[in-house]
Amino acid sequence: MSFRPYALLAEITYRCPLHCPYCSNPTVYPSGTDLSVTEWCRVIDEAADLGVVHVGFSGGEPLLHTNLPDLIRHARQTKLYTNLITSGIGLTEQLATQLQAAGLDSLQISFQSDQANLANEIAGTQAHEKKITAVRVAQEANFALSANVVLHRNNIERLPQIVDFILSLGIKRLELANAQYYGWALLNRAHLLPTREQVTAADDFVTREKERLRDHIEIFYVLPDYFMNRPKACMNGWGQRYLTVNPKGEVLPCPNAASIPNLRFDNVRSQPLTWIWNHSQSFNQFRGEEWMTEPCRSCPERTQDFGGCRCQAALLTGDAANTDPVCDLSPHRTIVDAIFDAVNGYTSQPPSLTARQNPSISMQNY
Amino acid sequence: MSDILLQSRPELAPGVRLQSDRLTGEPMLLSPEQVVILNATAHSIVLKCDGSTSIQKLLDSLATEYEASLDVLQGEVLAYLSELHEKKLVIFSP
Repeated sequence: MSFRPYALLAEITYRCPLHCPYCSNPTVYPSGTDLSVTEWCRVIDEAADLGVVHVGFSGGEPLLHTNLPDLIRHARQTKLYTNLITSGIGLTEQLATQLQAAGLDSLQISFQSDQANLANEIAGTQAHEKKITAVRVAQEANFALSANVVLHRNNIERLPQIVDFILSLGIKRLELANAQYYGWALLNRAHLLPTREQVTAADDFVTREKERLRDHIEIFYVLPDYFMNRPKACMNGWGQRYLTVNPKGEVLPCPNAASIPNLRFDNVRSQPLTWIWNHSQSFNQFRGEEWMTEPCRSCPERTQDFGGCRCQAALLTGDAANTDPVCDLSPHRTIVDAIFDAVNGYTSQPPSLTARQNPSISMQNY
Repeated sequence: MSDILLQSRPELAPGVRLQSDRLTGEPMLLSPEQVVILNATAHSIVLKCDGSTSIQKLLDSLATEYEASLDVLQGEVLAYLSELHEKKLVIFSP
């Protein structure tokens, strides 16, 4: 059976001016030098040959990569649909013109909240006003624009204000994504995980508003999976549709796969992308159903949710081949419930927050 | 959106692209989060979503192209355009 990837996530740098405590980047950055422009262009060509049609340029902050317009131009020449996933910091009029000339198809700008003080506190820097400016610049350049807001305990109650704020900016597409607990977010989980009351209120609000505002804005809401009783169909199945290439050239089946112990990632510098996609150990480890343990192995829902998230199984149960412990059929569901009970029981200040650090800074610490 | 006017002019929404698939040659619509493979009829419709052709004209030319009656076509084409509109792939200018 052969598999075809449809989307490539190109993490072109780990550097970022923001310090969001829920960043999905690894908390210990891999070593090595970043891929060159020539190497990235080869990755893009090989991805297109495999069947990829979408490329998302991400990071870190992709605008910090000085050759971003060249990479976008190359992707467009290869007929890929190009999407830029950015904080907006650094999007000057001049750069927007270059990106437009390069053929950028769409752009997603993140916001941390609706108000500058809370947003800047979450980002760990004075970013909010600059992001508003970036939206204006993107709109003047006529990019298809969307906004993304990661939700967590400290901003989820401001959902009504956040939606109003995004509407006031004239943005027509909004992703409201609850933090997923990997990387820095896992480190800060006790500080970020919302309470059940907060999540229930948010769900009710979004269901109502999505319908009411349907002619004004398209709202995508990503539930916090800890609060569901069946796991998410993570990545639409391991090694089925997606691949991620990190700044060092490692190819990952999902952006968080580095959190799985003992999984070795092949590098585009050593192997062609086609070989990595088809034959590498990392892409085949959890492909299909052979690897599944009970209760997944005999469960009729395995064809819909693929056993959930391998990273979550690894991080919470210690074995990536276990059923995602979010599933209430999992014998490990008690682990997730215990996390809630601890969070919902906080009456005073939760443990302090660890701000995301850039590679150069964290290198000194490790 | 059930009340599409026949004089309105459909066009691809901003950020949506029509191209052929590199592996299979099939026509497809691409947007930031979607890949929609088009069959031959869908392709004929989407090709006419150029922002200047009205739905009435689009129907007339499809009727000629497929030698079909307008009554049969109209329901199906409007339903399909409405579906593309729901998916935010097509917008209508008055």
